[in-house]
Amino acid sequence: MTNQEVSSLNRKGASKWGTLTGRSARVAVALLPLLVFMGIFFFAPLTAVIWDSFQSNDGLFTLQNYADVFKEPIATAMRTSLGLALASAVVSAIPGAVLAFLIESRGSDRLRQLISSVAGVLANTGGVPLAFMFVAALGAAGSATGLFKLLGLDIYTAGFSLYTFWGLVLVYSYFQIPLMVIVFSPAIHGLRREWNEAAKTLGATGSQFWRHIGVPLLFPSFTSAFLLLFASAFSAYATARAMTNGTIALLPLMIGNLLDGNVIFDEVNLAKALAVAMVVVTLLAMVPYLIIQRRAERWQR
Amino acid sequence: MTSTTLSLRGVSRRFKDTVALDALDLDVSQGELVALLGPSGCGKTTALRIIAGLDNPDAGEVLVGGKSVTHLAPNKRNMGMVFQSYSLFPNLTAAENVAFGLTMRGEAKTVRIGRAQELLEMVGLPKHAKRFPHQLSGGQQQRVALARALAFEPDVLLLDEPLSALDAQVRANLRDEIRALQLKTGTTTIFVTHDQEEAMAMSDRVAVMNAGKIAQIARPDELYHNPASEFVAGFVGQMNKIPATLEADRVRVLDSHVDYRQSWTEQPGAMVALVRPEAIEIQNTAADQSNATVVARAFLGPMSKVSLVLRDGTEVSAVLTSAQSAEFASGSLVRVSVKPDQYLVVAA
Amino acid sequence: MKIFTRRQLPLTIGLFLATLFVLFPLVSATEFSLRQPATSNYGFANYIWFFTAEDFGKYLGISLGLAVVSAIILLVILVPTVIWLNLGGARFRGLVEFVSLLPLVIPVVALAIGAQTALPDFAQTDEIILGFMFAVLAMPYAYRTLDTGLRAIPLQTIVEAARGLGANWLHTIFRVVIPVVRSTVASALFMTLALSLGEYTLTSLLHWDTFTTWVTTMSQSNILGAIALSMFSLIAVFGLLLIISIFIRPTKSNVVAEEN
Repeated sequence: MTNQEVSSLNRKGASKWGTLTGRSARVAVALLPLLVFMGIFFFAPLTAVIWDSFQSNDGLFTLQNYADVFKEPIATAMRTSLGLALASAVVSAIPGAVLAFLIESRGSDRLRQLISSVAGVLANTGGVPLAFMFVAALGAAGSATGLFKLLGLDIYTAGFSLYTFWGLVLVYSYFQIPLMVIVFSPAIHGLRREWNEAAKTLGATGSQFWRHIGVPLLFPSFTSAFLLLFASAFSAYATARAMTNGTIALLPLMIGNLLDGNVIFDEVNLAKALAVAMVVVTLLAMVPYLIIQRRAERWQR
Repeated sequence: MTSTTLSLRGVSRRFKDTVALDALDLDVSQGELVALLGPSGCGKTTALRIIAGLDNPDAGEVLVGGKSVTHLAPNKRNMGMVFQSYSLFPNLTAAENVAFGLTMRGEAKTVRIGRAQELLEMVGLPKHAKRFPHQLSGGQQQRVALARALAFEPDVLLLDEPLSALDAQVRANLRDEIRALQLKTGTTTIFVTHDQEEAMAMSDRVAVMNAGKIAQIARPDELYHNPASEFVAGFVGQMNKIPATLEADRVRVLDSHVDYRQSWTEQPGAMVALVRPEAIEIQNTAADQSNATVVARAFLGPMSKVSLVLRDGTEVSAVLTSAQSAEFASGSLVRVSVKPDQYLVVAA
Repeated sequence: MKIFTRRQLPLTIGLFLATLFVLFPLVSATEFSLRQPATSNYGFANYIWFFTAEDFGKYLGISLGLAVVSAIILLVILVPTVIWLNLGGARFRGLVEFVSLLPLVIPVVALAIGAQTALPDFAQTDEIILGFMFAVLAMPYAYRTLDTGLRAIPLQTIVEAARGLGANWLHTIFRVVIPVVRSTVASALFMTLALSLGEYTLTSLLHWDTFTTWVTTMSQSNILGAIALSMFSLIAVFGLLLIISIFIRPTKSNVVAEEN
């Protein structure tokens, strides 16, 4: 075959083994590895969890597990988890957005590249190392606590504690703020200089530009980033476990306890119902996130 | 309506170590379209941005209608600007984009809607009012951008290479439309481009720029036939460079002679004649009379380009009607001459 | 100075505060880790302690092994798939993206339970199952990275050129395409490694032991030593992730990836 013939055959999706069947076969072969792998290691577990959550101890269909989700102590854990996710998202989204804005609008290319790498690293910190870092800094015997004492302020007697709800929000911000910077920066980067200049030549002041163009364009991205932070804080396990050790009732920790064999309501499949409840919440946050991201990317090119 | 002349007086701008603009002077009459033409880095875009107020000169003044606007913020200058691409606001429809200038000026909604529709019709997009920029083609977007820039009847219209990002066919059409619209509204316009064909076709006058200065500003035909320097001659249209020799008091270019003028070169050393392709004449002759060989013929529609090589290796392009050029076959030996008085002699 | 101009000042202040916030816990913990127990000197005793701890090498090896397994699995599955996607499979892009991004949406905790229930028994008894699960966790990030990287090159052109010159598919992928997107593949590789090395949730819920869970266990016995260990693992992962930035060529028009 000449080069041209091979090239045109490839373009038509044909192969040496014929056109139509060859193409379907190639599609199947190409997608098979991914679909089989995810099928076994993702969809099967997920399906099992959903299925089992509707099973009673005797193997019969039941909604009891879900009914128990709304009883104490699970209801409290659910409320606390939701509250934590919301608080963390709010506390971290705003500084993150401000930082992202300053870096993108005023930073050099090298700075942006550096921040991107550093933020990526920081967004990945969690668990025991992170807990230790904060205990070392703001724990009862921490360095910062000590510094404050030198200045005459005992933050612990004043009511602060690292081991509370708000302490956890603070610790979470260590990886949430970098996450916000990573996710929100592209939106700001996508604000073209031409729009600002065009607006100016058309008579707009700075605030008019932001009101009519800037904020409307950034708002969806901000919202979707907020949702991501929410989902991230809601699902976090390692850090919560390291920091609280049972003192704060959180859904992921409760599931962990159930898996360790601490039975609450005598239902074997309660943990699975809890897991499904978590999945639902996360889906409610992440699906809008992905949709808004996809739409916003259109004008960010 | 306020008188909308535009002037630049001694405008200078430098960036770090480079001089972008060097004491630039420019006067544009009301309703005139002047093109700023030049290679990249010549300062044309810098000049435009300074006129718009998006950049500030280090020295000099910008005057609109005789009044200095040099220190006026861009949003107060009442100038419409069209950028090279992607300048439409993505979250607004075409109509909202067009009406933006009026929105900023606090015009009533009915006025804005009416005017936006009027302008969209003027640029040939009457049914696209509710479309968003990402739903429009490149050419359509630039039309909307033009409508947006004209909606509020600006004193001056500024165009920064508006056609450079478009396909050739779209570019050609839009070029004529822009000129027609500009003539209809009578807006004083500055058009920045690096495409000399565009500049020559559209403008009342063309300012050829180089290294921050205006090398020559004149009507297109004058620029073409009487270029003031070798740079201008080479930049505008095609130019052949044929060696010229000094014989006693006269300079010989191929078959023609002309009196030597001191102003051409410092000493009568090596000289070169700048000749337009249409000023080259070709004749079929016998081998011993010939001074050139035909290399190739390129069919360009009504005209054709004939590429030749002289005995000394100089490459020459001639442009003839296609009928005429048919006489000269590739590889044949011919005699080439220059139409009298249609060349410029400069130092080599 | 340029960083103190009226325009730059907010950025300078913001970065200063951010750096303070980031470094303070890090420095505090490092300071703790360098404290010699029962004295007021500083030294590396805590670091030596865990370095010479009996299981240090063992668990580090397990984690590294699992990380490598997950990276290999992901690359073997994703690279051909993403190449195909960008060549002729564009119609299936929606499906592939959906499947690849799903692990992002589901909490790890839920996945852990599911893995315990659904996977066949042989999978439950061999730690290598974690390698597969880590691959699932890393899939969204790896997919995004590979897809972005492969979209940025003229893939169709070079593949057609190679095939037209007579190369078979294997040759084309390994000797033509991959060298061109080397930095992208390396980036996806390191991202997977980093994620696997730092993973704790799935490991602990499934009752396996890797480096991360070992660190947690050790923290109950010798607190200063455990802090030193944590700092070590943190900085090691930091270092690995920072290597990624060496591989990514900085371009002006580059839009920052939304996941690392």
